[in-house]
Parts: sequence; structure tokens; C-alpha cells
Amino acid sequence: MTRDPGSFRDPSGFIFQDQGVLFRQVNRSYKTQFDFLVSSGLYSELLERKYLIPHKEVSTALSDSDAFAVLKPELIEFISYPYEWCFEQLKDAALLVLKIQLLALNKGMILKDASAYNVQFHKSRPIWIDTLSFEIYDEGSIWVAYKQFCQHFFGPLCLMAFGDTRNALLLHSFIDGIPIDLTSNMLSWKTYFNLPVLSHIHAHSIGIRNYSSQPAAAHPTLIKKKSLVALVENLTSAIEELSVERKESEWLDYYTDNNYTDRGFDHKNALVKEFVNIVQPKMIWDFGANDGLMDREFSKAGIRTISFDRDHEAVQKNYITCKSEQSEFQLPLVLDLLNPSPGIGWNNKERKNLTGRGRPDLILSLALIHHLAISGNVPFKNIAEFFYEMSDWLIIEFVSPADNNFISISTHASSTILHQYTEENFEKSFSVFFKIVRVEKIIESKRSVYLFRKKDEVQPL
Amino acid sequence: MVKLFLIYIDPGAGSMLVQVTIAGILGFLYTFRTYWLRILNFFKQKGEKISNDKKIGNKINNI
Repeated sequence: MTRDPGSFRDPSGFIFQDQGVLFRQVNRSYKTQFDFLVSSGLYSELLERKYLIPHKEVSTALSDSDAFAVLKPELIEFISYPYEWCFEQLKDAALLVLKIQLLALNKGMILKDASAYNVQFHKSRPIWIDTLSFEIYDEGSIWVAYKQFCQHFFGPLCLMAFGDTRNALLLHSFIDGIPIDLTSNMLSWKTYFNLPVLSHIHAHSIGIRNYSSQPAAAHPTLIKKKSLVALVENLTSAIEELSVERKESEWLDYYTDNNYTDRGFDHKNALVKEFVNIVQPKMIWDFGANDGLMDREFSKAGIRTISFDRDHEAVQKNYITCKSEQSEFQLPLVLDLLNPSPGIGWNNKERKNLTGRGRPDLILSLALIHHLAISGNVPFKNIAEFFYEMSDWLIIEFVSPADNNFISISTHASSTILHQYTEENFEKSFSVFFKIVRVEKIIESKRSVYLFRKKDEVQPL
Repeated sequence: MVKLFLIYIDPGAGSMLVQVTIAGILGFLYTFRTYWLRILNFFKQKGEKISNDKKIGNKINNI
């Protein structure tokens, strides 16, 4: 049994793996609440609405004397984190938490935490994954996770809506959400005229600053249930009204404003599909997926596809399309391959880095290599080694130096880097780690598509 | 009151006070709104009945 390094804060139980299968232990201290979750009908209602991940109670031998039960939750194929979500994903996750809170209050329970890490994207929609987050509600109790909700959801959403979508990357640095006072400081003075922001962020910040040194139990904490529900409703309407304007994007019009002719574009798509058919993957990671147009076809074919792109606008468009088309097997995420998500939190293991979260059967990297090599100054050998450690199969679209897009990004690159960027050097470096299975020129273009397979043994270059 | 033994995250004393204040004000406003709508309905004997289905105050009453 291996205990999950990110599951140690809640005394009600924890996540562990046994022979590669994921389980959740419920401790004896949580027995009353767990029984009430089921007997109140809340568990079945949450399942019916697809708000909570389903589980099966299993008869696995209990690992210690604290254990009351062991659950086997439905598996989430890829764990993503809030700093990888676009605005709409964070907003949908926030609204899910508030919907769950209202349902829980209706059934005599309350959420005792509101961590964004308890939400995952499963079958193109957000879902709550922590079955042990529900406490029995006592009339008059406050919502202990109110501050956490503001730090994980409302604050970051305001920073994105009233500031810049890149502000969400601050969640990297603050594992328990962006501090309220920092959010308050970063927001424009104009937000003081927005009543929900004024109350949940600015006034909240003043309250924390002036009373943080006093023990929590020293204050009267009686809130009528109606008032608590009003608070949740107020947060819901405030979040529903938040939006981000579509900004000028580097890549959003890629498919309508690119260097392919119609025939070239169709040929590229046909080649990639043909290569994917050769590999027969169950899981694809697509780096530089743009708005995920091609990935949707793989998703429709039942292939789990993670569509990474560093451009927030492209990911946002991808997510909205996935939702409307119910592209269940596709997950769009914001990620810069030149600086992928690190391991954060306690011992750098609480939230895993990118490569620690699974191993794709196939990596797609279409028209990305020139950005990594020229804009990012990453040598071909390093790129090849990175992909080699991640997957057995690789599809790369190589953009030749004669391509218009290459010329536009290479204007300010040094002559040494430009000199090294040749198709010959590319093949030589990648051939150290991979065998070239297929290579085809895209018609009416200066680009080629390669299908690589990992070598069993690597000889030093 | 807060059952502190259940808490494993820090609710924050300042945050608790803010929550009590905001929730109190919002609760009062919603209750006021609910009664105000009832009064309006009472005087609108034959007119269109104000639909409360979408009103937040009504949701609260159902909880």
C-alpha cells in the first residue's frame, strides 16, 4: 500500500494505492458523517446530478486500526490543477462547489472544505472527488471553508476577469489559494464599486488584517441557515456575472489564418490520423493543441486526449467547444511546455509535476518544434530526450526554415541557432532516441509529418 | 457555534467575522425581499401573479 503524498491534511481519511489501484480510506472518526451522507440521501442526489465521483465500497483488508471503510472511486484519467485551467473551467468548478453546498445544506450537511484540488474534470465536466468533505450541519454554524473558497475560486476569478487571465498562474505559488489581501491589493480601485467584490474580497481582507491574531473561538459565530444560503447564492450570482473579454491571441486564428492551403490542411489531418491509427493509443497528450480541433476527432473515437496549449484564449475556446459538443474524452489545459507545471506543496509532492501524472501512449507535437527550438532556444537533442522519457510514440510536424511562419518567428533569433535548425539536424538528433517509422511531406507546404517510435537502447550522440 | 474539533482548515477569526456580517446583511435583504413580494402579490388580486420561481428569496425558503 502506498499512501498518496498529497492526501494527509484531512483526518477523516486518505487516498492510497494498492497494486496500482486507487482507494480511499475512511477513518472511524468520520463514521457518523459518512453514514449520514448516505442515509440523508445527499450521496445519491450528488451522484444523480453527476456532482460527485461515484465509489464502490470494497472489502479490502483494512490497513490500520483507524480504518472504518475502504472506497474504490471511479478513476479520473488525468489529474489537472487549477493553475492549468482556463477561466471558464475555474468558473464552472466554482459554481459546482456552490451547487454542492446548497444541496448539502438542504440535506442537513455542509462542505467542510472548498479546495479547488477537490474538483477534477471528468467526461468534459467538473466533478467533486472528495467523498469525505461533508460535515453534519448544526443550525447556526458558519461555513468554515468560506475563506478557502474565496482564496481558491472567487479571488482568482476576479483577478482573471478584472485583471489578466495569467493571474491564475499565481495559484502555483500559493497552494491554499491566493491570499485575500494580495487579491485585494492587485485588483483595481474600480472593483470597490462592485458589491460582491467589495464584500468578499476588500472587506474580507480588512477583516483578516484586523482580527487575524485573535482565536476563532473568541467570536460569536451564529449564522442563520437562511443567511448562509443567501451568502452562497450571492457568491453564485457574482461568479455567474464574471467573464473575460476575448483578447488578441497569438494562436486563436491559427486554423483560419495559417500557412496551409485547403488541400495541404486536409493532407496534414489525413496523415496525422493515419499515424494515430498505426499507434492505436488509449491516451494522447497533444502539446500545442491550439483550439483542439483535431483532438476532438480522437476524442470522438474514444481516445483520451489532453489538449495542452500555453495560449489561454485557445484553451478557453477549446473548453467551450468541448462542453457544447460533449467531447467526453478530451481535456483542454493551459500549459507552457517551456515551463511545465512543477511539483508543489509539501516536499514538492503534494501536487505532482506534469510527467508524474501519467504516461501517454502517444505524444502529438504539431508545428511546435520551431517554437521550442527558435523561440525557446532548446536544442533538438534536449527536445528529443524530453519526449523520449515521456512516451513510446511521437508524431511531430516539422516546420522547415523556408516556411512563412518560421520566418516570422526567427527574425530576432541568433544566426547560430538558425544555422543549426535544419531538417537534417532534426532527424539526426531525434534518431538517437527514436526510430523514424514514417515521414511524409505535407503537400503544398514546407512542412513534414514524422512518426517516431522509441528505441529500446540509446547510444550517446 | 463552530464545532472546532471538526475543522482541519483554518477558518480565520477575521474571515469568520466578515462572513457573519455579510451573511447577516444578505439574509436580512432576502427576507425583506420575500415579504415585500408577498405584499405585492396580496395587492395584485387579479393581476399577473408574480412568479417567485426564479427569485432567490424563494429558493432560500425552500431550503
